[in-house]
Amino acid sequence: MDFSKILLVLKREYLTRAKSKSFILSTILTPLVLIGFGAFMIWIMTSESETEKSVGVYDNTGVLVENLIALDSVRYSNVSDLPLDTVKAMVLREDLDAYLLLEEQHIETNDNAELIYSGSGGLAFSSSVRSDIREVIQEERLSRANVSEEVKELFARRPGLDSRKLTAEGEAEDDKAGFMSGVGFVLGLLIFIGLFGYGAVLMRSVIEEKTNRIVEVITSSLKPIELLIGKVAGVCLLGFTQFTVWAIMYIGISMAAVPVAGLLMQDQISQMADTQEIEQAAAEAGFDPASLEVLSIDPMIFVYFFLFFVLGFFMYAALFAAVGSAVDSEQDTQQFMPILMVPLMGAYILNTRIMVDPDSTLAVVASIFPLTSPINMITRIATTDVPFWEIGLSLLTLFLSFFGVMWVSAKIYRVGILMYGKKASFGDFAKWIRQS
Amino acid sequence: MTIIQVENIRKSFAKNKAVDGVSFDVEKGRIFGLLGPNGAGKTTTIRMINNILGPDEGSITINGQIASPRTQKMIGYMPEERGLYKKMKVEEQLLYLTQLKGMKPKAAKEAIHYWLDRFDASDWTKKEVGELSKGMSQKIQFIATIAHDPDIYIFDEPFSGLDPINSDMLKDIIIELKNNGKTILFSTHRMEQVEQMCDDICLFNKGKAVLQGKLREVKASFGKNTINLEFDGDGSFLDKLEGVRLNNRSTNYAEIRVLNGQNMQDILKLAMEHAEIHKFERIEPSLNEIFISTVGEDNLKAQQLEEAQ
Repeated sequence: MDFSKILLVLKREYLTRAKSKSFILSTILTPLVLIGFGAFMIWIMTSESETEKSVGVYDNTGVLVENLIALDSVRYSNVSDLPLDTVKAMVLREDLDAYLLLEEQHIETNDNAELIYSGSGGLAFSSSVRSDIREVIQEERLSRANVSEEVKELFARRPGLDSRKLTAEGEAEDDKAGFMSGVGFVLGLLIFIGLFGYGAVLMRSVIEEKTNRIVEVITSSLKPIELLIGKVAGVCLLGFTQFTVWAIMYIGISMAAVPVAGLLMQDQISQMADTQEIEQAAAEAGFDPASLEVLSIDPMIFVYFFLFFVLGFFMYAALFAAVGSAVDSEQDTQQFMPILMVPLMGAYILNTRIMVDPDSTLAVVASIFPLTSPINMITRIATTDVPFWEIGLSLLTLFLSFFGVMWVSAKIYRVGILMYGKKASFGDFAKWIRQS
Repeated sequence: MTIIQVENIRKSFAKNKAVDGVSFDVEKGRIFGLLGPNGAGKTTTIRMINNILGPDEGSITINGQIASPRTQKMIGYMPEERGLYKKMKVEEQLLYLTQLKGMKPKAAKEAIHYWLDRFDASDWTKKEVGELSKGMSQKIQFIATIAHDPDIYIFDEPFSGLDPINSDMLKDIIIELKNNGKTILFSTHRMEQVEQMCDDICLFNKGKAVLQGKLREVKASFGKNTINLEFDGDGSFLDKLEGVRLNNRSTNYAEIRVLNGQNMQDILKLAMEHAEIHKFERIEPSLNEIFISTVGEDNLKAQQLEEAQ
């Protein structure tokens, strides 16, 4: 193994790509697109999700309608005096979006009230009417039961749950489980994108050398394995460059954006504050604006991120390179892509489970199995306390499989790069591995 | 002095024996031609000499060393399938390729500029190869092959796809390299170039070396069994000849290879009855004729068909 040659290959692979317009553009544009997308999502979520709908209340009980109007005077109107057929006609003419039929039995028994609408109802609309109805009916039931103010007060209060984590030091600290499982998922996602995206870059690069026919000139100067290692390392370094630039951009932007975001959020929170439901929902999601300050990430996580990304990348990149060496054009890669797609996509899908249940047997197995561990282990490490032996075992199996995969891939690669005009099959792969 | 020694090498791909027990020696300072139809094993042999492939059996020694990464540096190789990075600038690319051959950056730069100057290509240094015309990129390919100043030059089908100007230029370079004491090995199936340039030849067929030696001796060994005939008049009498093979036939010229030892005077008599004879000469067979009679006509026709497609 001649390291000066590997270094030359690495330098070329890295520099020609890092200087290319497409790389510079994607480095700058990707975060901007992501930020734009994030802003768009926030805008969608915070903007009025429903256009105000009008609901006529046809109240045969005579008591509920006032409470409903008190709750939301824009939405509810009293149509109890009109004939029911007129109300129906109004709904059909779309003077009203819906009407609500309330009977005495809805208070006395557990029968459900009915909301009748024309046109589009929408889940958000019916669920918000449902909660309004619940509230007024419960209130009425309480007052009919003649309970004391204290009991009413008890009902009005909703018990919450604060969770704290017990650490080895014996101190309960503020729980960041929600935040950290988010971080874990994002880190896993980054590794997923990195393995896939840069793997594809490498594969294209191998195909390019093959279709350019330059590879025969190159292999008359060095060993295929040196070329392979140099290329993999070059693309890996390219990935790091991009991640680093993004990290710097993220830090810069968040330093500028936090005060602004904080202001916006305060606004949002105070608007929400009057609605008990939303407040509770926020509490359930573990969201508390004050908690922003305690959201720091253990630096060790980034060390693990680095380790799992590099090892995972070298392993998958070797596979991508083997596939690239066996074909003459990108279209021909399709028959081999499942080898790469299945474990990567599988790990990604598993991650959505592992994020919420990081200590399950499935999570432990997936985070040690080498084809999924780069993605799944980093999510677990961020989300929960993973015993050190599991991390060690995971790294060890990943390291060993990296060598195994590299060894096999290099054999396919060295035969494949000199095969022109033939579409290789899995059978050919086996032949090439035996042959060299 | 032997500079490349190939000893009984074999190489199979799956069940196909691409090279089957080939031996030959290339002498230092000479031009060596590898001939043979497509699929005869020339490229596989060349790849093994370049240490791109390893032989299944047998050995290859370059300058006394077994083929290895070290011997790769002694060789400049231009494959049949030419290739450069299209998106890379000319100078960067040549620097990369020569450094891979072990040159120091400074020496590499000097050599590259010397050759770029010689080929009137100095203006292209900052251009991407993809922007160059085909003829221009062929020149860059030559430079990539020779800039590290190796002792041995290997060209696989060097004249295929070259325009006439570059073809002449390459010929001149090959002669110049030879005059500087370098060794050149090239493969081709174009006989006239071999006849003009090669000192030694080795003829491949179906993975075996079927004929080899000094070009002159090889030709002499076939004897003066060919007639060089120039005439004026109706040439249809040539079709009546039996036991001959006509090469290079035109309206007033024919190269007649006489088979099964028939009397050449009979042919002259027949010719004189039908046409005015300007020239009747007994000569050694052309290399093309040797090629055909050794490899077999059928084999060659199959190749010509393949090329026409």
